[in-house]
Amino acid sequence: MALLRFIPVLYVASCTLAVVKENFKSCEQSSFCRRLRGFKPEISHYELDLSDIQLTDNAVETKLTNFEDNSHFKISLSAVHGDIFRIQVDELMGLYPRYRPQYALNGEPQAAKLSVVDKSKDHITLQYSDNKATLHAKPFKVEFFKGDSLVAVLNSRGLFHFEHYRTKPSENENNEVEQQKKEDPGAWEENFKSHHDSKPKGPSGVAVDITFPGAMRAYGLPEHADKLPLRSTNGGEPYRLYNLDVFEYEIDSTMAIYGAVPVIYAHSPKHTVGFFWHNAAETWVDITNSKDGNVMSSLVNLVSGTQEHSVSAHFMSESGVMDMFVLMGPKPRDVVKQYASLTGVAPLPQYFTLAYHQCRWNYNDQDDVTNVVAHFDINNMPVDIMWLDIEYTDGKKYFTWDPVKFSNPEQMVNNLTSTGRKLVVIIDPHIKREAGYFLHEDSLANDYYVKNKDGSVYEGWCWPGSSSYLDFYNPKVVDYYKGLYAFDKFKGTSDDVYIWNDMNEPSVFNGPEITMPKDCIHHGGWEHRDVHNEYALTHTVGTFKGLTERSPTRRPFILTRGHFAGSQRFAAVWTGDNAADWSHLAISYAMCASEALGGISFCGADIGGFFGNPDVELLQRWYQAAVWLPFMRAHAHIDTRRREPYLFSEDVKNRIRIALRLRYAHLPLWYTLFFEHEITGEPVIRPLFYEFPEDSEWYDIEDFKIYNGGSHNIPVSLDKILAFYRGGSIIARKDRPRRASSLMHNDPFTLYVALDNKQTASGTLFVDDHASFEYRSKKYLYLHFKYADNTLTSNLIDKTDYPTKEWVERVVIFKPPPGVKGAKLTSKTLGSVDLETSYTSENKALVIRKPGVNIREPFSIKLY
Amino acid sequence: MNLLQNSELSKLLLTFFVFVCGTLSSQVPRPRGVSLSRAALYPPNKDFTCFDGSATIPFSKVNDDYCDCYDASDEPGTSACPHGIFYCTNAGHKPMNIPSNRVNDGICDCCDGTDEYGSGKECFNNCAEMGKSAREAAQLRAEVVKAGKQVRAEMSQKGVHAKHEKQNKLQELQRNKEEAEKLKQEKENLKHEAEKLENAALEYYRKLEEEAKKKKVEEEAAKNRAEALETFKKFDSNQDGLVSVQELQTRPSFDKDRNGEVSDEEAKWFLNGQEEVDFEAFINNCWTSIKPYMLMDSGLYTPPSADETVSEVDDMQEGQAEEEHEANEDEEEEETDDGEDNEEQEATPGAHEEYSVTYDDETQKLVDQANNARTAFQDAEAQVKDIESEMQRIQEYLEKDFGPEEEFAPLQGQCFEFSDHEYIYKLCPFDRTSQQPKSSSSETRLGTWGHWSGSESNKYRVQTYDKGQICWNGPPRTTIVKIDCGSENKVISVSEPNRCEYVFEFVTPAACHEQLEGSDVRDELHDEL
Repeated sequence: MALLRFIPVLYVASCTLAVVKENFKSCEQSSFCRRLRGFKPEISHYELDLSDIQLTDNAVETKLTNFEDNSHFKISLSAVHGDIFRIQVDELMGLYPRYRPQYALNGEPQAAKLSVVDKSKDHITLQYSDNKATLHAKPFKVEFFKGDSLVAVLNSRGLFHFEHYRTKPSENENNEVEQQKKEDPGAWEENFKSHHDSKPKGPSGVAVDITFPGAMRAYGLPEHADKLPLRSTNGGEPYRLYNLDVFEYEIDSTMAIYGAVPVIYAHSPKHTVGFFWHNAAETWVDITNSKDGNVMSSLVNLVSGTQEHSVSAHFMSESGVMDMFVLMGPKPRDVVKQYASLTGVAPLPQYFTLAYHQCRWNYNDQDDVTNVVAHFDINNMPVDIMWLDIEYTDGKKYFTWDPVKFSNPEQMVNNLTSTGRKLVVIIDPHIKREAGYFLHEDSLANDYYVKNKDGSVYEGWCWPGSSSYLDFYNPKVVDYYKGLYAFDKFKGTSDDVYIWNDMNEPSVFNGPEITMPKDCIHHGGWEHRDVHNEYALTHTVGTFKGLTERSPTRRPFILTRGHFAGSQRFAAVWTGDNAADWSHLAISYAMCASEALGGISFCGADIGGFFGNPDVELLQRWYQAAVWLPFMRAHAHIDTRRREPYLFSEDVKNRIRIALRLRYAHLPLWYTLFFEHEITGEPVIRPLFYEFPEDSEWYDIEDFKIYNGGSHNIPVSLDKILAFYRGGSIIARKDRPRRASSLMHNDPFTLYVALDNKQTASGTLFVDDHASFEYRSKKYLYLHFKYADNTLTSNLIDKTDYPTKEWVERVVIFKPPPGVKGAKLTSKTLGSVDLETSYTSENKALVIRKPGVNIREPFSIKLY
Repeated sequence: MNLLQNSELSKLLLTFFVFVCGTLSSQVPRPRGVSLSRAALYPPNKDFTCFDGSATIPFSKVNDDYCDCYDASDEPGTSACPHGIFYCTNAGHKPMNIPSNRVNDGICDCCDGTDEYGSGKECFNNCAEMGKSAREAAQLRAEVVKAGKQVRAEMSQKGVHAKHEKQNKLQELQRNKEEAEKLKQEKENLKHEAEKLENAALEYYRKLEEEAKKKKVEEEAAKNRAEALETFKKFDSNQDGLVSVQELQTRPSFDKDRNGEVSDEEAKWFLNGQEEVDFEAFINNCWTSIKPYMLMDSGLYTPPSADETVSEVDDMQEGQAEEEHEANEDEEEEETDDGEDNEEQEATPGAHEEYSVTYDDETQKLVDQANNARTAFQDAEAQVKDIESEMQRIQEYLEKDFGPEEEFAPLQGQCFEFSDHEYIYKLCPFDRTSQQPKSSSSETRLGTWGHWSGSESNKYRVQTYDKGQICWNGPPRTTIVKIDCGSENKVISVSEPNRCEYVFEFVTPAACHEQLEGSDVRDELHDEL
């Protein structure tokens, strides 16, 4: 009876998995958001001076004045290679310098030629290719045209606002000021819960609105646990971009979570336009979509008077310069590539990183790690990478091992690599403040930590207890930090050990909103407020340098939780601490699709859900779904029951084994897509509107509404993974199941040819050594497969070479032509060879038996 | 082979024989990856039909690195089929079946290296060494089992003996119990008789007693009123017949919060919320609050110590302590029952200490006799209870399953410890498992004896101890004890694979059986020969 009385209490406690919203600010609780969101003038207070413009080949620069308070700014508009306009606004003679993010851009954007096509005293029009921008003097606004179509208007709603730095008014002055204009009570200092923000530089917000005439949908602004299309935020909270460690985050929410990528795409069947707000401070974005109500009628009229649809965004940041890129499209493919041309792409990852990762907080000791892999082998389930969470360290001191539980990491790593496996270990940016810990002592001695506003070292609370935080803005810190990954420093690691950077928002358990106070000081005198969203990126930059120098011939692999625009160049991301719930499985697709549009393709969600215990149905479905997201890792909280896939009944094991094998069979496809991502910037996973931009029926797919075209019923069961090859595609698979992807390198390919209605198909395949940078020296094969006129051909796309043992063992043609008797293969070394063919049941597919040709060699196979 | 099944010779010859067979077997033509016993299923001069009949192919397509049969029977020696089985002869060691997807994957899975014939991976044939060390290990194991078996027989004997003893004892106790109950009944009758006489004799004295009691109450009330009046007069400094808030405020005794002044609220509290009171109101409503403070001042009264209060609060906050309390409630209930019994005994009539009266000799004699009869009855009753609880203990013992031959019985009552760097773990078979940090003496119960939980054929290889202390934010702790044969009783490892689920590995001679050992090796060799 005693037990019975106790259990219900526990049950309630464990069922209330939910974010504590009160720990995080609403817009109304954040002074700058309150000020900027409330700023709604009838007419813009800003005016351009077009009498004195400086014009160069690539840019035009002039003065912008706020005639309400007579503050002055310099504004420039320039053309950036690839159909992009850039507008920058900064203070003229500002009291303090303003921050520009240092790591988001992949180098300085390449300038393009700009010419003046029209100029008067109240406007100037500039042209770059088929793109035009017109700057209007009063009221200040900028119109963007693709050809002759107006596609975007900056400041059409007059919400442009730039709070210039000023000295704090004295008491007396204050009274006068107050009489004129009431100052927000949080303008000069602000409290949230028990935390005080001293705001020594006072208010410094920047805001702008941009409207996209004709747009039906907007996408972007990751990371949010929300549906893919952005919602109208009228009456609700704006989308918030502020990297935060949100415990048990909720879905269908605009709350900030771990990452911030301030790019938005406005889409219609005719035009897709992007807008990148290059700012690392806390940012809120209001979205207004005309289709979500009649709020936009006035706005629509303002823009052109005839538009049926329109989307508008209002960006509000706490500090920094205003640096904006308008991505002129015209299609989703173009805007995403344009964004990638600015912030870079994910370099081709090693092949194994696309395979299955097994993680848990925590594998208890080195024997546990070895045993888990042994159980995968006993059960004939593939796994490539074992992960260690924080408990492997000696008392949460990173770059050390628990002397008892992980007394022999070399041996443990050898056990893994002996069957082709790898290890990933966690390294967080908080450093335990413990006398004698070399990293802490070095950091204190050399001044490597982030500071309080008074210049003393900042101390926060994280996993190790009292901790300080490395300041990666100091180049000396990066130099020091990257050296920590050297094998003689991080003992027990090898080329086969990779890194997980967690808690780098940064997470501070006792800080405001579980992060660092905004008045902390970084190298260069920047406040944390200026750089916050970029901090995680600086952490991964350091790790990336460390791994590159440690293992110069291996491509680094890093997983990061906090991220910013540009993080894709250094690390993969995952959707953080999700929950064992169906809704979290569903949202994982929307979240990763949004990240992919934001340049970060290498994304996944914890299989099974981090918090809580999934039932076996959810777990099986999660494995089946995770096959189709780029990063595939199972992970679980320390309080959950073990859920390694071999622990279940035979039927469950079998379904998960099939899902894992399906993933491994498709690794060549994932790998090829990642290669193509690196060279083109196209996302590895793509929402439907991206592939079919003119087809407006896809936009509302989240609603499960049926549009014209009717419905198609497909019987499903737990044994079935619903996935389709699109008609017209050729997929190269490796269908021989192995223990690990590294053991499949020499295995043959099966080519799956899914014919379209015209009886044609095409596809690509990338082949190389899976690990090194040699592909950058033309040591690879990039193949184009084509099927037409009953003939399959394979040709090299690039003039490159990579000798390989990989060969073609089978071709499977779906919807095949009838009456095929056989096939003839022709290649240089094999000459002409007859191949057997056979139809599968009901003639659904035709199988060509054992072409046997090496994949390096161009060939053709003709059916007869 | 039958000839070779006994004696020292068998070991020597077995090694030799396997070696010869290994050589011979490789000479029998059969596809790669097929065991000798299945060679006949692959006649080389005929077309090959898949075992499941799914296809018939020319024999040249067997092991041609393309999967033609759904059942994988055409590719035993390549990785072409997803579900194939590859057989390694492993001459000198145990033959082995591996999934054919491990063929030519660059990992040496067979000790003879035959699985890596085409991957470029160089595998060394280390079957001889592995076989040798496996045989040595098997030999060692056999010796442990042999020795263990002997100890097991002794343990079993002890167990059987103990069981008989307990059964006999139980019968004996049953007889004793019957006698003791008879005696109890007699004593109870005697007690009733004696009490009847005593009651009648005491009737007179009871009246006297009540009067004395009443008188005492009145005296005390008068005394109290006098004290109250004196205090009232003392407080009523302006002599107006009323005690007011202001008057109380001059008296530091009423500074309840000890902040140096008697506030309005404090003073009012003592006056039952009134501004002022007359004497009747004072004695009826205020005196009970005021009196302790007056006594405290004069040092006659101490309030409950602050320490006690605080420690109680601590207990409440410490979740574990509470959980422990919950988990152990069953035991405590038993104790509470005992407590009630004691109270009943104390509540029997005859104890008149407070208002002591002197009885006349005759009455005193009857009272003494009744007291003696009660004592005699209580003794007889206790005797019955003692016997009953001993019988219950024995019954619990007899209900426990100590194995098919009582071989685990001697482990009952013993405890075995295992230390890692942080904790000392304890296994007390058939009782409980526990954990104690090395740095402290507080023991956490990881489980209470539950049941045998091995598989049907191996029931006595696993024990479950459940209903341990409840984990913070989690379930009650449980322990699985895996039992294996060993030369002595010993816990050899403890782990916590799931949070709050512990696994102990325990070896004991009680688990040493020959029939469970190493028969599989010989079976497979048979297959090969």
